[in-house]
Amino acid sequence: MKTNSVLIVDDEAIVRESIRDWLKDSGYDVATAESAEEALKMVAKKDYHVLVLDVRLPGKSGLTALKEIKAIHPDVKAVIITAYPSEETTAEARRLGALDCMIKPVNPEDLEKLIRDAVASIDKEADKKPAKKAAASKKSVVISKRSFKTLITSLLQDMEVVGVKGKKGKFIFDKINNFDELKMDYDLTPIPPTKYLFPAKETILKYDLSDFKKSTPVLDNAPRAIVGVHPYDIRAIEMLDEAFITANPDPNYIARRQNSLIIGVDCLNPSPKAFSPSMGTNVAEAGFDLLLTDIGDTYMVTVGSQKGADLLKKHAQVIEPTTDDIARQKMVRDEALTKYQLALDIPRERLPKLLEDAYDDPYWAERASTCLSCGSCVMVCPTCFCFDVQDDVSLNLKDGERTRLWDGCMLVDFAKVAGGENFRHDKTSRFHHRMYRKGKYVLERYGRMGCVGCGRCGTACLAEIASPVEAFNAIAESARAKQEAARAVETIRPEKELYAPMQAELVRVDNLAAKEKVFEIKLAGGKDLGQKPGQFVELSLFGLGEAPFGVASSPTRRGTFEIAVRNVGSLTNVSHNLKKGDTVGIRGPFGNGFPLKQFEGKDLLLIAGGTGIFPMRSLIQYVLDNRKLYGRVIVLYGARGPAERLFTDDLEGWKNNANLEFHETVDRGDAIWKGNVGVITTLIPKVQLDPKKTVAVIVGPPIMYRFVIVELKKRDIADENVIMSLERRMKCGVGKCGHCQMNGLYVCQEGPVFSLAQLRTVREAV
Amino acid sequence: MKPKVAFFDFTSCEGCQLDVLNLTGEELLDLLAGVEIVSFREAISRNDEDYDIAFIEGSISRDSEIPRLQKIRKQAKILVAMGACACIGGVNCLKNHLTMNEALTMVYGADAKQFDTIPARPINAVVPVDAYIRGCPAQTGEFAKLVKALLIGKKPETPSYPVCTECKMAGNICVYELGKTCIGPVTRAGCGAICVTGGRQCWGCRGLVDEPNINSQEEILKKYGLTPAQVVEKFKIYNTYSEVKK
Repeated sequence: MKTNSVLIVDDEAIVRESIRDWLKDSGYDVATAESAEEALKMVAKKDYHVLVLDVRLPGKSGLTALKEIKAIHPDVKAVIITAYPSEETTAEARRLGALDCMIKPVNPEDLEKLIRDAVASIDKEADKKPAKKAAASKKSVVISKRSFKTLITSLLQDMEVVGVKGKKGKFIFDKINNFDELKMDYDLTPIPPTKYLFPAKETILKYDLSDFKKSTPVLDNAPRAIVGVHPYDIRAIEMLDEAFITANPDPNYIARRQNSLIIGVDCLNPSPKAFSPSMGTNVAEAGFDLLLTDIGDTYMVTVGSQKGADLLKKHAQVIEPTTDDIARQKMVRDEALTKYQLALDIPRERLPKLLEDAYDDPYWAERASTCLSCGSCVMVCPTCFCFDVQDDVSLNLKDGERTRLWDGCMLVDFAKVAGGENFRHDKTSRFHHRMYRKGKYVLERYGRMGCVGCGRCGTACLAEIASPVEAFNAIAESARAKQEAARAVETIRPEKELYAPMQAELVRVDNLAAKEKVFEIKLAGGKDLGQKPGQFVELSLFGLGEAPFGVASSPTRRGTFEIAVRNVGSLTNVSHNLKKGDTVGIRGPFGNGFPLKQFEGKDLLLIAGGTGIFPMRSLIQYVLDNRKLYGRVIVLYGARGPAERLFTDDLEGWKNNANLEFHETVDRGDAIWKGNVGVITTLIPKVQLDPKKTVAVIVGPPIMYRFVIVELKKRDIADENVIMSLERRMKCGVGKCGHCQMNGLYVCQEGPVFSLAQLRTVREAV
Repeated sequence: MKPKVAFFDFTSCEGCQLDVLNLTGEELLDLLAGVEIVSFREAISRNDEDYDIAFIEGSISRDSEIPRLQKIRKQAKILVAMGACACIGGVNCLKNHLTMNEALTMVYGADAKQFDTIPARPINAVVPVDAYIRGCPAQTGEFAKLVKALLIGKKPETPSYPVCTECKMAGNICVYELGKTCIGPVTRAGCGAICVTGGRQCWGCRGLVDEPNINSQEEILKKYGLTPAQVVEKFKIYNTYSEVKK
């Protein structure tokens, strides 16, 4: 394959396309992506040689994408481009191995040169190390057990060999002096082999109290072979690599890691407390030099590194595996899977979300009550890596050393500061923190499971509370129970009145215009409706049905409420024949109403068109009745013509009310009309506004919204402060029938009042 | 000027003081370069009454010991309790489960009337204590650590966590896994889990941690087959004083 494929990731089409065209002309095979997410999908399907990544993208950032891609394709070359350069971005790009961090607009010639050099270097590397590539491709071979003995015996000549030994009927990792001490079939060691990479206590610095310059870091560079490491511990080592190697590479860990040979062995007889298959850690694909599977008289050996390949070449007689060997390896691995007694009840991918939702679950306090704060769980954990640093001076008070020791979040004083404050002072907070590290925090921070399911903490904890699988299952169960309780059909009490209207009486019927009437309605017993301005009711007439109407009066006007009815359908037609004293049905109030809290202290620009004045009247009344809560109140009203003006008495009243500024217009005037003529948008430029202080409320026919919004944008009113009441076919009012749905939203539930910001992604809205 | 150090013993076996002498020759010379020992019955004949730091071994179990201890307290700028008896009352407090007459008769038989005794107590039950060197016996290393801390001006600290933490760091197999029991989960660490490492189990000689979960520890002992009486025995040996106080 020719080394010339480039993926450009930028959300700006102009950037994407110009770079693409330039590189295409230079002979590259170019693909583009608009987002990190899209790029990740493309990278999963095809190997790209060079990535050109913008930093600021709509979802994940380009740097995050690079980190994730590098984890899978460590050899990929990348160029970061950004219009917002900063030291942090450059440093992070460099840390992730990017070739350069270029500032936009990028000079295409420079970019092309960079890519040309990168491609050349890829070709060169490929020429140089074909052998390494082959070795890295996880070759499997077979060696006899006798040959393995020779290998270990030879290693013992060259370096310290540590491995699993028997002790008091149990197994421990310890120094091996001869091959026969070594146990390759074991269940679990109380302390993990990670102690050879991150020991319980190590000196990190030696110093002289009188001469600062004499202080020297202490590193353990002794070559060491760690033999018999189970896959879950290999996965733990990979997690530790993530913590110690990325960002501020830890010299002590790295010295040991680089000088260690890791010879793993598949776990065929798991501990009764183990659950590694649930964590996906019963197998290891990387992180070892050799990985053995006992398939009878021989070991199947997976070669994980060049070091491992060299080791076999030097010390072992290697046989090509037969199909029978491969079948036997699969068989013993499958058989081992059947021996696990514990399992996670949910997919591990769900753990972070599960824990996020269970932060306040009573489980944590309940279980923590028997915690001894003894630290056993964190001391035996292969993925725990917290430490304390202590100074130890010699009795001569001249020299000393700084040591680091295992420490852990389950210990009482772990989060205690010098002033005495302990930020995790109770058992529950510590227990909680540990479980969240195991199931969530570590995974989110390092991209690897914080628990490998080895079962050590479950074995070590005398109070029997430490096993993450038990905690996670309990939390999952509690989440399930909660969900089921919410859905348990037998125990639910139905809202009997949900579809049954309340009886009400028309106490006044007035004509507003040719087609519009206002009904003043009193609920049976004189009960208040209790509506918020902007809410609606269903007017119910037996024999005809129901229709939604915005309440036109404010809840501050008590005892009765008003709705205005325009005669447009059969129900409204019949309702126009109703008279004072007639009985009607009412359901509601429904919907969210206007965000009154948000309005407080603000200047209100209330824009109503046509029948939009019905719900707006409720708000205007409410605002006038609570006038001190608001700044300026500006009302803009537009009707088709003078004859179609509604609530004319109110309009006259507002015009002369010093508490508000009222402007109105009609689309088409007539002989008598002396006021403004023009659509409602013509009123907006005439109003003085402070865009930072103003909230605009729009209610009107659908066509009106788009034009009003354009005008408001011109006045720099933020989308959060543009509030609209939308009309939809609200049949049931209780979020069931589906008629009012607008993309994913039910207007009768989440609406009918929305801010423009809320509606940005709701394509069906305006 | 080198601080003057004196050692005193009350009701005890004097094993803790003896352990101080287990410092290597070089360490002893280093120690003497830093401090002047003015009174130490087990090692020197000098017996000055002018001292800055007093190390106290033993618990208080006779009335006559009280004014003696108070006098030492008055003189010493820093008073250190050394060993389980001084720190937590230790094994001497086992007699507190008896009446004093029963205890005297048990030990001295017919001569009981010639002796007087009171329920045993740690020295902080009589005078304020500035620092503790825990354990039975107090270990050489911890003694040295405390002296170094005092000389360098650092607050002497012992771990607040229990023995389990150090036992795991030592790489031990838990005694509970081997069919035995111990009270390491509630006992203050600092010993490096020396007893378990040496094939024994923890009896709590260093006293309890600050927030011991005694209920949970008792439940665990019962779960591992101990009768309630045996559970009490577990705590009795070294921790009678704190348990009775509770």
